[in-house]
Formats: sequence, structure tokens, C-alpha cells
Amino acid sequence: MRKRTALMNFLIAGSAVALLAGCGSSSSGSNNSSSSSGPVRGGNLVFANPQDAQSMDESTIFDNNSIWILEQIMQPLYTVTDNGKGVMPWLATGYTMSPDGLTYTFTLRKGVEFSNGKPMSSADVKWSLEQTMAAKAGWGYIDAAIKSVDAPNASTVVLHLKYKWAPLLADLSLFANGIVPNNYGGKTAAQFYQAPVGTGPFMWDYWHKGQGLKLVKNPHYWEPGKPYLNSITWTDVPSDNTRQLQVTSGQAQIDQFPAWATVSALKSTPSVSMTLFNSTETNYLAFNEKVKPFQDVNVRRAISLAINRPSLIKAVLFGNGKPANSLFPPQVPYYDPSTPGYQYNLAAAKAAMAKSSVPHGFTTTITIPSGNSDYATIATIVQSELKPLNIKVNVQTLDPNVANANFQAQKYDMSLTLWTMDIPDPDELATFGLDPTSGAKSFFTSYDNPTVVKDTHSAEQITTPSARQALYNIVQTDAAKDAFMAFLYYSPYPYVTSSNVRGFFVTPLGNYHMENVWLSK
Amino acid sequence: MGRMTFVIRRLLLLIPTAVGVTIIAFFMIHLIPGDPAQTILGIHATPQKIALLHHQWGLDRPLADQYWLFMDRLVHGNLGQSLYYGVPVSGLITSRLPATLWLIIYAGVIAIVISVPLAMIAASRKDAVRDHIVRAVPLLGLGMPAFWLALILQSELAVKYRLFPVTGYGSGVIGHLHSMFLPSLTVAVALCPVVIRALRASMLNVLGADYVTTARAKGVPGPRLFVRHVLRNAIIPAVTVLGINIGFLIGGTLIVEQVFSIGGIGQLMIGSIFQRDFPVVQAVALVFGIMVVLVNLLTDVAYASLDPRVRFDR
Repeated sequence: MRKRTALMNFLIAGSAVALLAGCGSSSSGSNNSSSSSGPVRGGNLVFANPQDAQSMDESTIFDNNSIWILEQIMQPLYTVTDNGKGVMPWLATGYTMSPDGLTYTFTLRKGVEFSNGKPMSSADVKWSLEQTMAAKAGWGYIDAAIKSVDAPNASTVVLHLKYKWAPLLADLSLFANGIVPNNYGGKTAAQFYQAPVGTGPFMWDYWHKGQGLKLVKNPHYWEPGKPYLNSITWTDVPSDNTRQLQVTSGQAQIDQFPAWATVSALKSTPSVSMTLFNSTETNYLAFNEKVKPFQDVNVRRAISLAINRPSLIKAVLFGNGKPANSLFPPQVPYYDPSTPGYQYNLAAAKAAMAKSSVPHGFTTTITIPSGNSDYATIATIVQSELKPLNIKVNVQTLDPNVANANFQAQKYDMSLTLWTMDIPDPDELATFGLDPTSGAKSFFTSYDNPTVVKDTHSAEQITTPSARQALYNIVQTDAAKDAFMAFLYYSPYPYVTSSNVRGFFVTPLGNYHMENVWLSK
Repeated sequence: MGRMTFVIRRLLLLIPTAVGVTIIAFFMIHLIPGDPAQTILGIHATPQKIALLHHQWGLDRPLADQYWLFMDRLVHGNLGQSLYYGVPVSGLITSRLPATLWLIIYAGVIAIVISVPLAMIAASRKDAVRDHIVRAVPLLGLGMPAFWLALILQSELAVKYRLFPVTGYGSGVIGHLHSMFLPSLTVAVALCPVVIRALRASMLNVLGADYVTTARAKGVPGPRLFVRHVLRNAIIPAVTVLGINIGFLIGGTLIVEQVFSIGGIGQLMIGSIFQRDFPVVQAVALVFGIMVVLVNLLTDVAYASLDPRVRFDR
């Protein structure tokens, strides 16, 4: 989940014009084009990050700014493919599954060493997975299907499952299942994560909190000839405008999240490349079914039908998005493009409202976090678009922390929220969004459709892709018809890079492989 | 009362001030709704995970117990652990304090360098065109939002002419002087109008004094008259104004720190408030309180040193 502080948005609002004026205009280049002379070695690449990292403990961290850094240090057994819909072997080279589907035997890649020069073995994998499994306040739930881990020899790891579990490889590709040295190399967890060691292309240099974090090239990295860069520095730059100025001036090479208002101008700025990567980010309007009249499916349908998605995309993303038709984003396996998520149809909205328990309208509240200009725009548009249904919407702006707490405690009527995938499998989102008995209580809406819940959990234990597709099609269709949330839009990930950055690619899950990146002369 | 006695007495007053600051900061931050566990867990927060973190951090204990624990640690020189970063708060503060101190001191120096000559020019001929210009133009600095001025300086001097880095604190004294020039200038531009006005008014007062008339009658040249007789006596009220404004600047440089990405203590404070990182907010508030008292003390000492008529027991 991405966050933007109140101050950052304040700064954006006040100064975008001045900044754009300074950008000039010209055509943009591609940051991924290859050079005929091949990759250039060396150099320090600087990221301008909107927020400092929080922690390098992969088993407990939920903050994206930390995750994308620690993924350069620690690697899992499998990794996400570039299209975000599958996995490929990474520290493992393959696996076999027992006929009952309860035992997976993995073969580890040969010649992999940690950045301290010690070889990686199955004992390290066993230790790492067990730490994540035990992280109750962290990602332990993602490994809930694993009963135990065995390390019969140095290059073999055996996972024993409690039950059949289709998303196992996807779960193993999560950063939280990254491999660290057995017993943290003799350190305590706290000591280890002050300067973590992994098998990734880069290794620890320093972290000056609130200023910058630097990784340097891992000389023991297992992919021949990689990484190309000598080092990467992530600097903490809260202001959108400042990040942009850093990249245009050459002080930084990658701006993680430029403001949408600046995307168009950046596309025509000569010294930079503006790239919109496919993403899994999906934005929703959640209805709290604990509050009247949102238990009424006709009310939810009416609101979903009254929202003009293209207008929202134009106003918020400046046209850089697509209307959402499903709970799942298109970049997720088993997404069904024919899912009948409601789109703008005012006549149908009025008809649904007429059939509802409140045919003459009602008054409600939409809660948004302060400082989020995108959400403020959406709330204003929704407020206006529900007027023809005689629904009076009050916009309640709360401190982000309080808004989030109220959302999760279901102290709201309607709330804006979003999701980005952590694993290349819909299971995490489906359980989070559709199961009222999960910790998230159906995305904090209390939506409860027993058929949807049953199909969601059935899909977890079927390993045949076609059978899973059939189940997820039904799940998506039922959830869309129930309109438990209004599916608003799919948003890409905007990245600004200096025109000399090559090989930079962001998967739909937000991961990037910095071992492939180099700086042209 | 001697200078040393005065300083010691004022330093002792730091203790009740600090205790007061801890009480206010501690209970204020706990009064604000919101939860650090919620911040860290984000959308993945569940009641079970939140309870686990609360227990781990001691947030499930009564508030009075938590305050007692905080004070107990404090008297032993321990500011506690950051809930967000999981590292000692003292380390976070000591790594960020120098950047903020650089910003404030550098801005103060730039403000003096700009203000003194301008105030002299204005006071040299009251109500002349130059006086009006000097009084009016700097007011733009007071009215201009700091983030706007910062962006203009960044766009022109850092991006267009590449004279300074867009952001950062730099390394080494020369690096700091170079990197911190634009942020310090941004802060100084807002400081200058008040200092110029105070200094100008004070100079005009001094210019009417008998000893200045006498000096003039003796044929002391204009520039020498201004520097040796007028400026030295006129600067005393300006020192007070500057001291008060620097007191305000402590913790008030947030916008500039954010825009120039300096990573100072103001940025730490606001980030910690948003994250509900209670130990950091409490500790930073305490540091701010102590710094303000110290700046006021230094102002008083400077005042008395510049003006022998001022006694320390007054």
C-alpha cells in the first residue's frame, strides 16, 4: 500500500506549476533500450524515495520502501516473472511434489554464496522459512500451510504441508521468504538486521535514517557478470517536486512516485524517461455492511452504477488508468476480463435505488485520509455523482493513521482503499477481500457470501490451473454482482528515470531487479 | 549576581522546564487518536497482531506506568526505542540534530550578513527612496511561502545553473556550507525583514543620541561613525529579535527540511507524529524545549555582554 503524507500533497498542490515550467519540453527516451556496446559497469545509482525505509527484517516488514530495498539483499527460492503472473526458479532450481500434494522437495542452486562469502545451504533455507513461519505479528500467515521444513542434505529442502496448497510457489516467491544465514550467522535478530547479509546482488553499506541507505555490489553474487552497478543509494525525499528536480538535475536517477499532475510534462522532458509500468494497484470504494443501508445489495449496486470511472481516471490519474471491472487486477493470474463489474449507467443506478430499502435516498459519509489529494478528488466526484440518487454524501477527512484505524475497526460508512499484490496468485487478495472470518473481515466490509467464501477456499487447494480459473471466474462474477465494493480503477506505477538508466523494469507486483540495471555513459 | 551564577541559575531552571515538556509531550501524543501498530502493519493489521505489538512495546500497560517508565529511563540517560525503526531514539536524534543546527545557525549568519548592511543603508537617510526600498522589498521574503521560494531557488540555482545541489546536507564543513546554502538562504529570507526593521529603528534612535552628534561634530567620517558608534549600540535590540526568532525556528524549519530533504530533527518530529512513534515524539519535544531555553539564555548573555549597562540580576 502506498502512502503520501499531508505535507507532500500540500507541496504538490502549491508548486506543480512552477516545477513544470522549469521542465522544458522535448521528447522522452526509453530507459530500457539496449546499447550496441552492451552494459556499462560501475557507477552509483541514486533513488529518490518519498519515504525512508523502516526495517530490513523481511519476516515482519509491510512497508514497500523497505521491501524494495531488502529484495536487493535477500532472495527467495522462487521469484516473480516479469509479467507478474507466475514464478521462476531463483535460489532453487526446481522441485518435485509427492502424489498426495503434501510434500515438496526443492533442489537448491549450486554455487550460491552469501555476501560474506559463505555458501548457502539447506540449513539456511530451513532457518529462514522457520523464522517467517513464526512471525506472528508479521508474514507468518503466508506460510500457514507449511507444517515443517527438513534439510536432508546441503542442497535439498523438503517442505511438509498441513494440507494441499496451490499457491505454495507464489508464497515462496514473497520477499518475506528470502534466505538469510542459519542462526543469523551467530547474531541476534536485532543485530543481524542492522546490517543484513543475503545472497542478493547488493550488500549492506550504511543506513543514515532519514537521509539515505546505501548498498554496494556483492562480489559473491551468483549470476555471472552481474550486477553492473557499483552501488545504489536510496535517499529520503518526501517532496514530489524535489524528487523530480533531483532527477532532472542529475542528482538522482530514479524518482519512485512522481505526482500524476506532472506525468504528461515529464513525458516530454529531454533528460528523463517517464515510464508507466503495468501494476496490480486497484482502487476501490468500500461499503461497510455493518452500517445501514449498505447491507442492501441494491444500494451498493446503485452507487457502483452511478460512478463514472473514466471521469475519475481523468481527474485523478490524468487519463493514465483503466476502469476496474473485477476485484482482481488484470495482472493477476486467473483475472477474468469478462467479470461484470458495474460501470456507469445512471438509469440502471436509479432503477436499483428504486428497488432498494431507501428508494428516496439517504445521508451518508465517505471517509478519506487527510493530505491525500487523489482521494479528496474522488470523494468530491462521488459526492456529486450520488446526488441524482438523492444520496447526500458528507466527506470526512481524518488524520491518515486515524482514518486507517477507523477503516479497519469498521467505524465508517464508505471509505476509499486500494490493494497491490504481494504474490503472483490471487489467493491472498481473495481471502483478504472475500472471507469475513479472515483477519481483514472481507476488506473490512463484513461482506459475507458463503458461496464465494467456499469457492475461494476451494481454489486454494486445487492445483489444476483450469479448475482454479473456473472457480475464480465464479468468485469474481459473484463478488462483482454483489457490489460489496465499487471497483474504481486500475492504476499503473509511474517511474521517472534519467535517460542514461538502462534495464530498469518494475513487475506488476512492484519488484525490481537492480542486478539488471546499468548506467550508460 | 555574576555571569556564572546567572548562567547556572538559568541552567537549573532547565529541570522543571524539561519535566513540564515531558508531561505535556507524553500525554498530548497519547491523547491523539491513532496507533503505531496500525501504522506499521498497515492494511495487514489484525486485532491479534496489534495486541502482540502493543504487548511487545508495553503499550498495553496503564498510561501512568508508561510515563513512569519513560522518566525512569530518561534519568538514566535512555530515551527509549523507536517503535517505528526499532532502534534507540538517542541515535536517531544525534544523527539528525547536526543538520537542523547547521540550518538554523547558517540561516542566522546569512540573515545577519544581509540585514546589517541593508539596515545601515536604510537608516543612513530616513524616509529617502533607499529607506523605503529596504523597508519594503524584504517584506516579500516574509510573505513568500518558504516552499515556494525553495522551489524557485532549486529550479534556478540548482537545476538551471547547477551552482548548488538540489537537496541534501553534504559532507564535511565545505560540503555542508555548499549543500546547506539554499535551505539556509530560504530560512534567512524570512528572518531578514524583522531583523532589518529592528536594526533600522534602533539605528535611527542611536543616530539621534548626543554622543553621535558629538562624534559627527568632531568630524568622524560617515562609515566609521556607523560601524563604531551606531552599529555597536544599535545591534543590541536586534540581537533580542534574532534570538527570539531563532527560538521559533527550532522545530519550525520543517517545510525547508522537507523540501530540501535535509533529514533534520523537524522532519523526524513530523514523521514520528504521523507514525505515532511515541518515544521519538517525546524525546524530540524534550530536545526542542531544551534548545529553546538554551537559545534564550545565550541571547540574554549576549545582550549583557554587548551592553555593560545590563546586569545579570535584572
